[in-house]
Amino acid sequence: MAKNKEHHDRGHHAAIATGKGDPQCFKGKAGGPPKFKVGDQVRIKDLPDVFYTRTQVYTRGAVGKVAVVTHESPAPEDEAWDHTDHSEWFYIVRFRQKDLWPEYPDAFAKDTLQTEFSERWLEPA
Amino acid sequence: MAEKHGHKHAPMVEEISDFEALEIAVRELAIEKGLFTAEDHRKFTEFAEHIGPTPAGRLVAKAWLDPKYKKLCLEDGIKASLAVGVDWLKPTGFGTPSDYTDLRVLEDTPTLHHVVVCTLCSCYPRPILGFQPEWYRIPNYRRRLVRWPRQVLAEFGLVLPPEVEVRVEDSNQKCRFIVMPMRPAGTEGWTEDQLTEIMTRDCLIGVTLPKPGTTTNLKLPLHRAVNPAHH
Repeated sequence: MAKNKEHHDRGHHAAIATGKGDPQCFKGKAGGPPKFKVGDQVRIKDLPDVFYTRTQVYTRGAVGKVAVVTHESPAPEDEAWDHTDHSEWFYIVRFRQKDLWPEYPDAFAKDTLQTEFSERWLEPA
Repeated sequence: MAEKHGHKHAPMVEEISDFEALEIAVRELAIEKGLFTAEDHRKFTEFAEHIGPTPAGRLVAKAWLDPKYKKLCLEDGIKASLAVGVDWLKPTGFGTPSDYTDLRVLEDTPTLHHVVVCTLCSCYPRPILGFQPEWYRIPNYRRRLVRWPRQVLAEFGLVLPPEVEVRVEDSNQKCRFIVMPMRPAGTEGWTEDQLTEIMTRDCLIGVTLPKPGTTTNLKLPLHRAVNPAHH
């Protein structure tokens, strides 16, 4: 019972984060180096997301390039349920707008869009 | 009295919405738990609702003047924020961490323009830029910016030639973003304070570009009523 109560003490995040910040407090927690590096071509997986996700539908299946390796953090799909034991590397991926929206005007073929993913969403392409 | 003069009372607000009740409940709990005090809350609200000049505007102005500082901004936004008085670990000055602490500064070039959105909600670098404008939070901007960025920018009065790459940054995770536009012509020899004043909130989101003469502290013009009431 006591253990259960501790688990539901949501205040512990505040205690951990105070003065350390977030996601800094997950630094070094991904258990290894990032799998992808800047410039790597990646495809966004179309994983099921039954309850919560931050991976936009418009990016599913699209191919882009890693622009920035940002930081380590629990994936939002876990963190939303207070599961913070496992962290992952995060990546900002750059897409050509044309690859996201086939009807995007050819006159603006240089236009791009960047957004961020946790490692579980990426595969080499 | 009101009936005698033949006009109605202003409608009374008799209820608070569910969201207001939720906000009050969470705020009071946080105060009770000692996360912050009522005074801290008021101070942060005052800062966040103040439009400008913002610390983010000063960060860009400083970077325009100091190439070494600009380099730091691009490498480590959190460290660079300290120079404009914002500690992301204690943005309110009283110990609670910010939402998240990974600020990225997006540098515009003659061939690249950045604009920020959060399609999932309204993620925004509040510790350095205050609260989001209402239009940043609504689905209209959030849905359309990623799909038709040039049309949406044109609605803000910003029309960019095809040679300029428009790069939308969808702020969907823990990073927060501000745009560092190019220093505009006509600002040669300006001081940091002068440059800070033209770096308005909308320039930092990327829906407009800084211009000499356009600041957030312009006096509003007074338009006289066409049919004034004579009491």
